[in-house]
This record gives sequence, structure tokens and C-alpha cells, in this order.
Amino acid sequence: MADTYDVVIIGGGPGGYNCAIRAGQLGLKTAIIEMRKTLGGTCLNVGCIPSKALLHASELYEMANSEFAGMGIGTGKITLNLEKMMGQKADAVEGLTKGVAGLMKKNKVEHFHGKGKIAGKGKVTVTLEDGSEKTLETKNIVIATGSEVTPLPGVEIDEKQIVSSTGALELESVPEKLVLIGAGVIGLELGSVWRRLGSEVMVVEYLDRVLPTMDGEISKQAKRLFEKQGMIFKLGRKVTGVEKDAKALKVKTEAASGGEEEVLDADVVLVCIGRRPYTEGLGLESVGIETDKRGFIPNEHFRTSADGVWVIGDTTHGPMLAHKAEDDGTACAELIAGKAGHVNYLATPSVVYTRPEIASVGYTEEQLKEMGREYKTGKFPFMANSRARTNHDTDGFVKILADAKTDEILGGHIMGPHAGEMIGEIALAMEFRAASEDIARTSHAHPTLSEAIRQAAMGVEGWTMQM
Amino acid sequence: MADIRKCQVLVVGGGPGGYPAAIRAGQLGLDTVIVDKHGLGGTCLNRGCIPSKAFIHAASKYEEMAGHVGEGALGISLKNAPVLDMAGVTAWKDTIVGKLTKGVGQLLKSAKVEAVSGWATFSDAKTCTVEMEDGKTLTIEAENVILATGSKETELPFLPFGGKVIGSTAALELTELPKKLVVVGAGYIGLELGIAFAKMGSDVSFVEAADAILPLYDSEMTRPITQWLKRHKINVHLKARAKGVEEKDGKSFLVFEDSSGKAEKLEADRILVAVGRKPVTEGWGLENMGLDMAGPFVKVDDQCRTPMRGVYAIGDLVGEPLLAHKATAQGELVAEVIAGHRRRFDPNAIAAVCFTEPEIVGVGLGPDEAKKKGENVITGKFPLAASGRALSMEGGADGGFVRITARESDHVILGIHAVGKHVSELSGEFALAVEMGARLEDIAGTIHVHPTLTEGFAESALAALGHPIHIPA
Repeated sequence: MADTYDVVIIGGGPGGYNCAIRAGQLGLKTAIIEMRKTLGGTCLNVGCIPSKALLHASELYEMANSEFAGMGIGTGKITLNLEKMMGQKADAVEGLTKGVAGLMKKNKVEHFHGKGKIAGKGKVTVTLEDGSEKTLETKNIVIATGSEVTPLPGVEIDEKQIVSSTGALELESVPEKLVLIGAGVIGLELGSVWRRLGSEVMVVEYLDRVLPTMDGEISKQAKRLFEKQGMIFKLGRKVTGVEKDAKALKVKTEAASGGEEEVLDADVVLVCIGRRPYTEGLGLESVGIETDKRGFIPNEHFRTSADGVWVIGDTTHGPMLAHKAEDDGTACAELIAGKAGHVNYLATPSVVYTRPEIASVGYTEEQLKEMGREYKTGKFPFMANSRARTNHDTDGFVKILADAKTDEILGGHIMGPHAGEMIGEIALAMEFRAASEDIARTSHAHPTLSEAIRQAAMGVEGWTMQM
Repeated sequence: MADIRKCQVLVVGGGPGGYPAAIRAGQLGLDTVIVDKHGLGGTCLNRGCIPSKAFIHAASKYEEMAGHVGEGALGISLKNAPVLDMAGVTAWKDTIVGKLTKGVGQLLKSAKVEAVSGWATFSDAKTCTVEMEDGKTLTIEAENVILATGSKETELPFLPFGGKVIGSTAALELTELPKKLVVVGAGYIGLELGIAFAKMGSDVSFVEAADAILPLYDSEMTRPITQWLKRHKINVHLKARAKGVEEKDGKSFLVFEDSSGKAEKLEADRILVAVGRKPVTEGWGLENMGLDMAGPFVKVDDQCRTPMRGVYAIGDLVGEPLLAHKATAQGELVAEVIAGHRRRFDPNAIAAVCFTEPEIVGVGLGPDEAKKKGENVITGKFPLAASGRALSMEGGADGGFVRITARESDHVILGIHAVGKHVSELSGEFALAVEMGARLEDIAGTIHVHPTLTEGFAESALAALGHPIHIPA
């Protein structure tokens, strides 16, 4: 007799494990299946967390080399010990994945290490590490298998010379020349890490702008700042292939519209053109679920077309972000337990952990124009913010977009120090459907960077004071 | 015969209360004059918030680098100990202050406000005479007056400033690092500066009359700071009364009485007195204006009006909390009241930040304060040791956390507090949440970016509701 569960979750990333914890808290008999040795998924193992650890260390390395002297701090020669830097990154990752495993236990969630596959209604088989199979019977199945790196035809990833984000977090030496294919979030973050540690970084992007999903003004200024830091951008160009010889790589590029061929030399090539849903070998056909053209599983409040099968996170629609998956997971568990559960994707912020950081929530100016919505804009540069001045970190600005008639905040975009920590305020305001005046009339502590948000909000009605 | 300038609005004092009042009045089309003697931007920009934060920033970076000597953490290593050039730090700080004060001048100009440099003395509630830098005098007759004279450091009669004894102003001007620094007063100013000096290499000790550091915060909040001080072998003498300075054999000592009443002394190259601030109510003719007082402060109503029609007072001059952003909020409000707008000063919350190590943020009531006001409360706490973002920025090991205090019956949030590395920038969201009357469910239901410290805020709300995700309930 097979075990019977209330919920079996396939995938132990931020969507899956949060879903499991919430289901456990709600008293549901829950199992989670993960094929990686450790829980935490892409985010904890090869994504958000290790990249942030390297971004933090490399930023300090660069600042100490270039900025401290002007502040009255002499450091002498600074040396880089890459092995050790990687070691502290591994420590942070290990601590957190162990923590997740502990949380599973605390919430009485059973954890299977193996590959999960749907085997018809209410059935999931797990192929365990030793090759044996186990079948779980369950009332509900949650698909949380996440996403994988989108490959580029003609460029084969070997994770040594031609790497995805996973390999880019594990390089054994600092490449002299690093070529990035794709100027999105992942590319700019990892490109920043290696540029700070000494690489010459060149970025090839098919579209005509960096960070193509961000607000246009942010994209424009981001490009200018990253160029100032030494990155070289080749926009509106595509990579047609990468030739390998013993030592170096030759990256063949041409204009997006064809022609104007150019070959770039590289020691390491990072393919970061995006991620795609991962549903390979998941047994979707056994319950009649079909993916859309781009491979996503459609959902209606996390319900798929198959009875008792739910889907959350990167595998379904909405922004491909860890915190979106977490909230999907929580809401999905609550729906399974018969409670209400809903996630507002418009108020889901996103962050790029470059220097300066870039954070955004809600609509961009371009989206509002396309929708034909009338809006007002308030903007405030960090150059005029006193905390940014004292921290020697004045690049960037805050931009608030609000409805022209009702003043409801429709979008917030921050480029600047600690932008990731500040976007929370605008996201909360949007969840409350606050007006820009609500932020403008809220006292913000002095001297903090968050005063810039208030000044930008004041700008919507034209009464910014510090500029 | 002195010149006479008539105006609709006269602002006295160019600090973070006065200059926003003047800008807002200018924006609203009022003919406005602002008078200031000691540099636009006031204490905050010239001698307070801004230079101290620049100083703290440099000290933190220096300490961080010192941690990388030899086999450094993070894989960054220095061959030799970093060198601190105190004069260089002070000069760097001065360039920042210079740029910002100049900026204030520009802002006033573009709002069409006339800035007069000099000292104003009132002869009656609406008339003052300004002694200008060039020796001339100017008489100003105003329809409306906004008093924004601010506050100054409290001096102790038995420890007058001068020689080895300095206040926070002079502490920010030192060009040589004191080897031994004794700080009298362990409130936020004393701690911020004392900790910065300790990071730069001074041997620091504190002498505090109360029985705890940062008396405005509960012991749960101050514990991480106490621990930091302990780890760095910084002595804090509590319930200790400073008595005076003693000079002996070319050395200086702070003499104090310890908690048991025993006379003790501490050797000091500098003695920093940071025992608070008091409103500036003397030397500018307040006595000629016929206003009411509330203790040491000028008494105002919730529109910052004094009993004298057309005379308003704001900021440190009118009472606690003595915070720049409170002064700014009142300044803007008064300008709008004068312009005929309906405004009232009634914030649910004014955030306060201590730039100590680790940092503290507080908005609204703590659990003890709330209980004292008769509230039944529930609290939720999330340790930053469980935050991925904190760990990736060398945070989390300092005992930091986010704590939320809510009313038990309806879950309305009464207060939000955080302590830990990098928490100061959480203050905006905290303040907005309390100002908008958020309930725990509102915070828990708002998506917070991963990986950021703000997730800790959502988790603390979940913890108060009994079902946190990233810590055992």
C-alpha cells in the first residue's frame, strides 16, 4: 500500500519549499521531492544567494581599491584570493540550504531526494538516487519544478569556458576577457562581479537596450553608468556561434538584422539570454496538461487544467522571480487548505544587484504609454540626497509614476544605493493602492536614502523641495 | 536709519525646519525672507546628521578594511594594516557639507526666497532687526513669522567645553585621532560618535548616568549594541555620574562616581560630552514676543501656531522628538497653513534611526510602551540570522532582528523596530505602514523582494500571526 498525502510538491526551490512549509503549518500531510542534493532550488544553490555573496565581496574589493583613499583611508596593495572568496560564498549557501532542510522537519514535511514524475491522477513516482522507484499517492500535486537556462543554438554550454550563470559562479580564475550574451539582470550582475575582480567585460545584446524589461529611462542611465565602470556594450547584435580552440574562444556576432559581422575574443563566454520553464520528464501527458508555446503551464489561481494538479513559480506565468514563487507557494497551499489565496503580480518588485542597485515595481513609463493611461511623473536624483552624499554613492534616481486623475501610484523605479531595500515601501504603497500624496505626506527619517522616495512622490504634484 | 524690508513670511533659522518652510512658502507664491547666521542647513547639515554620517561611513569602511589584513575574510587581503588619515577624513566630510549647504542656497534662490545672513533679534512679535555680516543692520516687518531657531548641545556646568572637553560639534572637527576617548552620555549621539571613534582605533569608554544605554529603546533593542561594545572591549559605566576633569602630570582624567558611589577616574585625551540638546530660546528676543512656553520649549498647537496670531514655531524649538525630519514636516506644514491650506501636524509615526553598530530603526510603540498605554498586543520577531540577504552582506551575526508590535484585537500595527547591519533604509516602509494604518495581514500579503532585508519585515508580520515561514513558529 502506497502512502497517501494531502499534498506532494515536485521541486524544492523557493516556490516549493515555501508551499511545503505553509501546507505543513496548515496541518496537511505534505511531501516534497527535489532532485538536487540540497533544498533551496536555483535561488539558494546557484542563483540569488551565491551571486549576492560574490557581488558583496567584489564590490568591497573594488571600492577599497578605488575609493577609500579619497575618504582618508589608506589600504596599501589589496590582493584577491578567489578560492577564499568562493569559500565564503559556499559557506553562506550551505548555511541556508541546511536551514531549509531544518524547516521541513519542523513543519513535518517529508523530503524525498530524487526526480519526481506525475503518473496519472493522484500519483507521483520518485526515482531515488539508487535508481529504485517509489510511488506516492496524493490528493494534490503541486508542480514547482522551476526553470532552466535558455540555451542558444550553436553555443554549447560546457560550464568551463562557455558557461551559464551556474558556471559563472564557480570560475577558478578571473578571466581576462569575458563575453556576455544577453544584457539582462543575470548578465549585468555576474558581469559586474568579474569586471570588479579584473575581467574586461563585453556584452552582446540582441535588443537595442540593456535591461529590456525595465523602465526606459532606467535602462538608458544604467547603460551609461555601466559603461563608465568599464563594460563594453554591443547592442542590437546577435551571436551566431562560438569557436573553441585550445586556449581562446572566438565569438561570432552580426547585426540583429544581419550583416556587419564581427568576431570577439574571449576566455570565457557567459550565456544569459534568459530562463525557460523546466518540465522535462515531468509526466504532464499522464494528466493531460499541455504547455503553451513558450513552455509554461497555464493556471487559474494556480489550478492547472488537470483536477488536483497545481502549478506555481517559474513553471507558470508571471515574473520569474524567487519571491513571486514564494508567494505563489504560500497562496497555493492556502487554497488547497480551503482558505483564500491570491497574489498581485503588479505589486511584485524586482531588483538588479549591480552598483548602483536597480529596483522596480508596477508599470514602466513605456507600458503606461502603450496602455494609453494618463499619468504624472515625479523624479528625484540621489545627487541631491544627503545620505547618498555622505556615503559617496550618488548615482541614480527615484521615479514615481501616478495616475493623472486619481494620483494612485502606478509604478516606482529606483536606481541607486540600497534600491532593493527601498522598493519595499513603494510595493507596500501599491498594495494599499496609495496615492503619491500618501508617500509625500509620510515623514521619512533624516538622513536616509528613503527621503529621495518622498521627494520623488512630492514631484508628482510638483512640490519637490530638495531640488 | 536702518533699511526696512517688509515681507509676507519671515523664517528665522535656516536648519532642516526653517529652510523647507521657506522653500515651500516660496513655492506657494509667498514673499519670503529667511535669516540665518551659522550656515544654511543648520545643525543637521553643518554640525550634526550629515557630517556625523560621513564620519561614521568612513570609520566603518576603515574598520571593515582592518578585518581584511593578512588572511582576510571574503578572499580580499591586505598586506599591511590600513592607515587612517584623520585630517583626510575631516576634509572629505567638509567637501560633502560644503556641497550640500551650497545646494540649500541654490534651492532657496530657485524658490525665490531672499536669504539674509545675520543674527535676528525681535523687538516685538512681528518685527526684528538683523545684524548682518557686513556690520549693517536690516529691520524686517513680517505678516507671518516662523520661528525655527533649533537647539544646541547641552553643556555640563562642571565640564564646560574647551581644552580636552568637547561637544559633538568639535568632535567632528578633530584632525587627530584621540588615543583615549571618554564619552559622557550613552544616548544616540554619544554612541554614534563613540562607536565611530572606536572603529577608527580610539580606546573608548562611556560614562552614563542612567541604568542603560539608549534609554529611549527597550533592552531587547539595545542588546546587539551592548554585545558589540563588549566584543570590542569598550567599557560602559552605567549609573555613573561625571564630576569634572582632573589634570595630573600632563595627563587629563575624567572624574566620576560609579554606581556604588565610589570615586573613579579615567584617563582621556578627549572628553566628549553628549548629554542631550536643548532649544535655543535666548539671545534673539523671544522675551519680547509674548509667547507661551511649555517647559523649555515654545508652546504651539497642532498647526504649529503660537498664541500670537501669525507667529508659528517649529522643530527642536517646540519639543520632542528633536529630529530633523520632524522639523522638516512641520516647516512644510506651516508654509501651507499660512497659504490657507487645511493642514494639521498629526503623524501616526515619526521614524527614528540610530546609526550605531548595529543600526537601530524605530517607528511607533514598542511592546512595553503599548502595554503602558493600555493596549493588548501581540508581537512578531524575525532574526536577521535567518535572512539570506543579511548573510550575503556579512550581517546576521550581530543579533539583529525585525520586531513588529500589533494590537491583538484588530491586528493594527502599533510599532515596528529593527536592529542590525544595514537596517536604516527599512525606515521608509516602516513609517508608511504605520502612517497608513496597516494591519499585520497587509504586510504579510505584500510581496517583498528576495533576497532583501525587507523580507524580514514580512516574516515578522507572519510571526505575529503565528505562522512564519523561515523560522520555527
